[in-house]
Amino acid sequence: MTRVLAYCAFLHNPAISLPEIGVAGAKVQEIAHGELKLLWSDVEWPFPESTLQASAVEFHQVVSHIFSQTGVAPFRLLSVFDDQQSLADFIAAHQAGFVADLKRLQHMVQMECVLYFAPQAGVRPTGTEYLQRKAELLQRTEEFVGSMKHALADLACEIRVRESRTGGRIFVLVQRGNEKKFASIVQELPIPERLARRTSGPWPPAEFLSGAVKTPPVAGPK
Amino acid sequence: MQNEFEPIALTGASDQDVSLLDILDHVLNAGVVIHGSMVISLAGVDLVYVGLNVVLTSVETALRNLRAEETRRTPR
Repeated sequence: MTRVLAYCAFLHNPAISLPEIGVAGAKVQEIAHGELKLLWSDVEWPFPESTLQASAVEFHQVVSHIFSQTGVAPFRLLSVFDDQQSLADFIAAHQAGFVADLKRLQHMVQMECVLYFAPQAGVRPTGTEYLQRKAELLQRTEEFVGSMKHALADLACEIRVRESRTGGRIFVLVQRGNEKKFASIVQELPIPERLARRTSGPWPPAEFLSGAVKTPPVAGPK
Repeated sequence: MQNEFEPIALTGASDQDVSLLDILDHVLNAGVVIHGSMVISLAGVDLVYVGLNVVLTSVETALRNLRAEETRRTPR
């Protein structure tokens, strides 16, 4: 069956170039409502597993095409609408929230630092040792996050942290153009023993979207 | 308009692996989630029948849910 796949929303600007091809070679189309523009394409739904990876890259390329030029509110790959009318209704209902977020985040990008426990080859701890080690590492993670917040105080507009089973993930909102500065500051921070880190970005500032935009309620049959 | 950003690396074996994981993670787990009526299908199996008003989920979560559902259904 055919569904409408939404890629991203952004503020209308005639200077922005649009991608032509999206997921599975489908033509990327646009829908506008006031200042807000949204890209979408028809897709065969559900995605077969064999094409999910390729679809993810194609989806990413569409979002990146716009994100390289302006701020975007990305949708998730598996977010589809029943038809074009559903999408039009959605954009009309949520336009104000999207526009407010996009104006707030227009010149921002999201940088990330993932902290994870460096694997130790050949070490098989007992259950107690494992728990002790994990508690130590969580404490070191918190300390690193603290030093990172301090080091980025002048650069970061906002920092959010999420704990994970394997460490922590730090999301940093910075002005566009500060990506390399972010990377060099983070790289200079000493990494605690047994922890490793990986930085990535710039990404669209999805973590910093307001709740009403990130998980908008959709009217429909109950 | 000039691209102000460094492209995400998609060349080189290790870079490609890491970047692809990053891409999958971001396109599946970051961004706007809509509620809707659909079935997520992987490997020919309808993993998650989410009914009319259930939040979409990541593939990892979907797989976890499927395993839990299979465990629940397995006769003891």
